[in-house]
Amino acid sequence: MTGTAAEASLPVRAGHVARGGLLAAVLLALASLSFWAPTFWVSIAIQALILAIFAMSIDLLLGYAGLPSFGHAAFYGTGALVCARLALASPGLGILPLVGISVAGAALLAVPFGALSLRVRGVYFLMLTLAFGQMLWSVAFQAPREWLGGSDGLIGVVRPSLGLLQRFDEQLWLAVGVSPGVAAVRHFYNLTLVAAVLTFVALSLLVRSPYGRTLEGIRENEHRMRALGCPTFRYQLAAFVVAGALAGLAGSLLTLFNGFANSSSLYWTNSGLVLIAAIVGGVRTLAGPALGAFVVLIAQDTLSSYSERWPLLLGAMFVGFVLFLPNGLLSAGRALRGLTRARPVELRR
Amino acid sequence: MALGLQLTLSGLAFGGLVFLLAVGLTVILGLMDVLNLAHGSFYMLGAYAGVTVLHIVGSFWLALALAPIVLALLGAALEVAFFRRLTGRGPLMQVLLTFGLSLVFVDLVRWRFGPQNQPFPAPPQLSGSIGILDFRFPVYEAFVIAVAALLGAALLLGWRRLRVGAILRAGVADREMVGLLGVDLARVFTLTFAAGAGLAGLAGVIAGPYLATYPGMDENVLILALAVVVVGGLGSVAGALVGALLIGLATSVGPFLRQEIATALVFGVMALVLLVRPRGLFGLRA
Amino acid sequence: MKVEVRRLTVRYGAVTAVHDLSLGVPSGQRRAVIGPNGAGKTTLFNAITGDIRPAAGSIALDGHDVSRLGPWRRARLGLARTFQRSTLFPGLPVAENLALAIRLRARRSWVFWPGGERRLRQEVAERLAAARLDRVASRAAASLSHGEQRVLEIELALAARPRLLLLDEPMAGLSGAERQAALEQLRSLPPDVTLVVVEHDLDAVFAIAQWISVLDRGMLLADGTPEQVRADSRVQEVYLGSRG
Repeated sequence: MTGTAAEASLPVRAGHVARGGLLAAVLLALASLSFWAPTFWVSIAIQALILAIFAMSIDLLLGYAGLPSFGHAAFYGTGALVCARLALASPGLGILPLVGISVAGAALLAVPFGALSLRVRGVYFLMLTLAFGQMLWSVAFQAPREWLGGSDGLIGVVRPSLGLLQRFDEQLWLAVGVSPGVAAVRHFYNLTLVAAVLTFVALSLLVRSPYGRTLEGIRENEHRMRALGCPTFRYQLAAFVVAGALAGLAGSLLTLFNGFANSSSLYWTNSGLVLIAAIVGGVRTLAGPALGAFVVLIAQDTLSSYSERWPLLLGAMFVGFVLFLPNGLLSAGRALRGLTRARPVELRR
Repeated sequence: MALGLQLTLSGLAFGGLVFLLAVGLTVILGLMDVLNLAHGSFYMLGAYAGVTVLHIVGSFWLALALAPIVLALLGAALEVAFFRRLTGRGPLMQVLLTFGLSLVFVDLVRWRFGPQNQPFPAPPQLSGSIGILDFRFPVYEAFVIAVAALLGAALLLGWRRLRVGAILRAGVADREMVGLLGVDLARVFTLTFAAGAGLAGLAGVIAGPYLATYPGMDENVLILALAVVVVGGLGSVAGALVGALLIGLATSVGPFLRQEIATALVFGVMALVLLVRPRGLFGLRA
Repeated sequence: MKVEVRRLTVRYGAVTAVHDLSLGVPSGQRRAVIGPNGAGKTTLFNAITGDIRPAAGSIALDGHDVSRLGPWRRARLGLARTFQRSTLFPGLPVAENLALAIRLRARRSWVFWPGGERRLRQEVAERLAAARLDRVASRAAASLSHGEQRVLEIELALAARPRLLLLDEPMAGLSGAERQAALEQLRSLPPDVTLVVVEHDLDAVFAIAQWISVLDRGMLLADGTPEQVRADSRVQEVYLGSRG
């Protein structure tokens, strides 16, 4: 912000406090979920958190860098597959190196992917990222069985334990009379929640940093930034790498949750789904895409249990959001609440 | 030698089909900045419309004539109802709209027809095979080549010689200017979208007896059409022709060498073209 | 910074916008480039900044040939420009617009955690106050009036502390008071900054220029002090007569 806190008017400060309070409340609810919610809900929540990490990562590219990538599933799937492959090849590997290498793999892929895609902009960029993403899928889909398990995929991934921490957590559950399987799920939920919160915090700091501001400048007017002496390509590529790494994190968590991975995580519809999640919640907010992920996942789950026609309903829902609520739920919520005075421009959140 | 010819002809047939799909995609993309992911749905709906006409009337030729018209009308309706509302909101919104629509269409088809393959027999005049050198080549594939060649020539000529082609070419190069020159852009958009949908529908009907007809049939072909657009260049009919030719040959030769190479070869071509010329071979703008 | 344009030729398809143009601007000079519409003035600018690649000829800054350098590298050497149509960061607040320019100058853009920008904010505040834009500091740049946008446009270029400043029609669309303020802004530039201004507003041109280059149809028509140019009959015929 430009001025000090003292310069912000009262309604604006009230808005900040309310927003902070809401965030804290949500966090508290999420943190306690593993204690009171039925296991089925916890499972859903894990998947929602994974999608939320995925969605927050695309927000960096879409909302902040202004790069609408339709190939983000490439990094998600790479994280998932590398994690599975590695886990099967080295069963004794701890969870942190396992996830770490998967994330590194996704980040590494982002370098050529981004470098080639960034040669163009606009709808062409969209198309190129889509094409590259599908290219990766088709290569993985047709990969030899020994590498990626063919159409069955890589199965039998065992979730490595976090050592003492996990044992302690699980003992608590077992003491309460919960079965080991259920305890494992609830423990994994806590792990995923920590990952999601760290992602949110890290990205929040990044977008408010000098790098993040520069990235926004590139989004607003790339030409002018170049005229001011900014080598824009590097900043955009860096955004690709960070976003790709975080998508890879989401993918590796998915593998650890499911116990398997196959090429379908690379399919382009996942790229579409994560974009929709970001739009539904509201881009350029980080919290929006996380919210959108929950909405989309719960909608998908609810619809599929009520009707066989759930793809139709889901598709109609997407169409509805794009047509009528393109700024997402958060912006609609803001308009309804009216906590902040109407200002001519949306400033930093 | 004969094998080479056989592979080439097969590649031409498949390439011709992909061309019909790609040309609508590239013009819509170049003119309206809309990446129509529902284009594959138009293709699928065309095939199913063809099957329906075939069941009701019993004439393949009538199906061939009617399905594109049905799809063109659908395309026009969608453009007016949905895409008009999204002008100026950026390419992503439109793409996501088409994504949602494609989900809806696929499921509608699955609902009405079921997930299984629909039998789509070729008409007796086009069944069987003809002898070329020492192998037999399916008459139907020759038919596909003929249709694609005819339409390709017609579209290319129209693109280069007719006034509407000039307007479209100008629109691809500079949409704003064309609007300022007094051309009714809204109508041009609707007609272009309808024409693209019609061509996709035609491709679908043609594909029916040639490939399988089932709810997800568009998936494989759409991504190839996309590769054609990238290789050929946005908004270029000639590019779509050349690109489709290249890609058709690649898909025909590839599996013969090794099954896995097929798609990798296609995308290898694409990546190579992009490295050298991001705009595509005939791209008018990036 | 010294600028040397040698035998510059720029073509757009079949049209030759600039033909075999040579001119040099010594360091610290106040130069104006005038001429009717289509004379190639903005094209000349674009060639100097590197936004377009010439068909022939070269550009040298301080003696170094920069013909092969891209726009951002030339900007890093100390070149800054403004555009005919305000090219700001529309959705961002005015203060952030300036902050971007200063941050790039200070080479502080590769920091990944927030904070540490107190001095930067201070400089932003000072510059905004001097340019009388402090009241609109937190408004989006797109919401500013035309005059305010033009001021911000120049401020963005100045925030880079350039050694060569290229201004493309800075007076366009400004009211009387705004014109005076802009002229003051230009007059108060440090003497070591080379200033090249493309302008149609001849009163402004004669007020600040030490040397004037007249372009017509992509070629240098006349070149000299304001008095010389005013007296040149060719210039009068081509330009001053036909209110371009």
